[in-house]
Amino acid sequence: MIHRMIPKKTRWERPRLARGVARRGGLVVTTLTLTALVLSGCNAGSSPSGALAVVGAENQYANVAAQVGGRYVHATAIMSNPNVDPHTFEVSTSVAQAVAQARIVIQNGLGYDQFMNQLEAASPSSSRVVISAQRLLGLSSATRNPHLWYRPSTMLRVADAVERALARAEPSHRAYFARRLTRFEQAVGAVSASVASLRARFAGRVVASTEPVADYLLAAVGVVNATPWRFQADVMNGVDPSPEDVAHLRTLIQGHRVAALLYNAQVTSSVTVALRELAVSSGVPVVAVYETMPAPGYDYQSWMLAELAALARALGTHRSTEAL
Amino acid sequence: MSWLFEPGWWANGTVRTALLVGFVVAVVSAIVGVFTVLRGQSFAGHALTDVATAGGAGAFLVGLAPLAGFIGGGVAGAGAMDAIGVQRVKGRDIATGVVLGAAMGLAALFLFLAARDSSATGTTQLILFGSIFTVGPSTLAQVSWLSAGVLVALAAIARPLLLSSLSVELAVARGVRVRWVGLVFMILLAVAVGMSAIVIGAILSTALLIGPPASALRVARRFAVGVVLAVVLGVVATWLGVLFAYDSYYWFPSHRGLPVSFFVVAVVLVEYVIASVVHRAAPSPSVAAGWS
Repeated sequence: MIHRMIPKKTRWERPRLARGVARRGGLVVTTLTLTALVLSGCNAGSSPSGALAVVGAENQYANVAAQVGGRYVHATAIMSNPNVDPHTFEVSTSVAQAVAQARIVIQNGLGYDQFMNQLEAASPSSSRVVISAQRLLGLSSATRNPHLWYRPSTMLRVADAVERALARAEPSHRAYFARRLTRFEQAVGAVSASVASLRARFAGRVVASTEPVADYLLAAVGVVNATPWRFQADVMNGVDPSPEDVAHLRTLIQGHRVAALLYNAQVTSSVTVALRELAVSSGVPVVAVYETMPAPGYDYQSWMLAELAALARALGTHRSTEAL
Repeated sequence: MSWLFEPGWWANGTVRTALLVGFVVAVVSAIVGVFTVLRGQSFAGHALTDVATAGGAGAFLVGLAPLAGFIGGGVAGAGAMDAIGVQRVKGRDIATGVVLGAAMGLAALFLFLAARDSSATGTTQLILFGSIFTVGPSTLAQVSWLSAGVLVALAAIARPLLLSSLSVELAVARGVRVRWVGLVFMILLAVAVGMSAIVIGAILSTALLIGPPASALRVARRFAVGVVLAVVLGVVATWLGVLFAYDSYYWFPSHRGLPVSFFVVAVVLVEYVIASVVHRAAPSPSVAAGWS
């Protein structure tokens, strides 16, 4: 189930232009004119067009690689369906083949994409570079919240590591990769600016969430998540949260002790659906958050800007964003 | 009593729904279960859980409520078992084993697809082992109507059913259409299995169906007493299961509770052990003795 990161030029351009963020990153995408990759028929590490094969365990990581690597990279993502819970993802043979043939693999770590380690072990390769966000950030495996990409600085570190790996693999295009890295860093700068502006307006506000998906972003904005960690972890791990914690969360929402409910639109259960309905009926705005990039239509930075805009809408004007 | 009922127990809406659904399901399971044990059809009950599992997982996949799938799968299984005549274990156990294995295989496929292609989380837990704390008030209404229907139907066929359960020859001589009565009962059994699956999951649903009646029939000397005792034991097991699961939140410093289904099944086992000890201490010609 490999999603092609760059399906068609037009599919990427139209919604992005409509959102008015094209000037920040649209140029990056338009240069990616890679054709479909036939995995079974290509040599290890390169696609038919000669581009370097990069695999991102989640599509946001593949997207960063595509933005930095440009036309010399063919980036594929393993998890990209916004309607699927990545925590319960199961591996297919085509995924194993993609990892076996990749020159650069980007994964999150912290057990979020554990299957990647097994796939890499199953096809050892000395020429493959594995980039793990967890390792880049030096996080211990006891770190509770695996959704590292919701901290913009994480993606800057990842992009930097991708650029170094690309420059080593194809030294002749070193300057090209460096240019594109700079452009990506500028684009993420817009996200950081938005974070700073939200922090100035909303720091100290209190929200609830069904899962810890956007907790790093909330922390960056200075917004407090009042949801007990147990509840968030139970939903994340697919077990029923205890009635005590559910009752606590309902009290937070009904009593308007939280200004918004961050709702993981990608991982739902009857408990989270009931909480969303309670929030809507209680007049607490809902903000849809996603585990993987809701593509097509977004790149990493426009996705984060959209989440920040949704949060600002909820906290500033009490309006819900039930889907991106 | 505060040591038994931890804080918030009486005010918690989730708990209240769980207790009400658990009560209704336990009553119906116990009454249907008494007939099941008397007829020696606990094997049929187990077989139905396998098809109910596949039905529940399939319903999840196409976006229906699990209860509809549990019952739909169970009723379809009941019809199939009646058609090939494998209501009892003797004889065709190999063919039955293969078919039931296939039903579980189908359940595995559906659960895989649900995990891969849907945003729903915790599906496997919900289908196999139950999630009574995630049941909404709308399910309570559905379960209540279904239960009323099952009890009315069971009352309508109670006399011929009991007669054909005790002696097929006698029933035939009295003009009972044994085959039809058996089929209607199988369908009621399938509905009971499906409702029990809501509380403790499809895989464990026979524990609630067979356990309390089996314990009751070990000690009761009269049929009516057996039915009442089975209902009491079933409700006690379900309510204690919910209570212990709620309380388990306070047992560990981490405040991570344990699942209801485990506690329900544990109480069912304890009840059965006690009933066996009582039965051994004062051997009596119990109702079940002649028919099991």
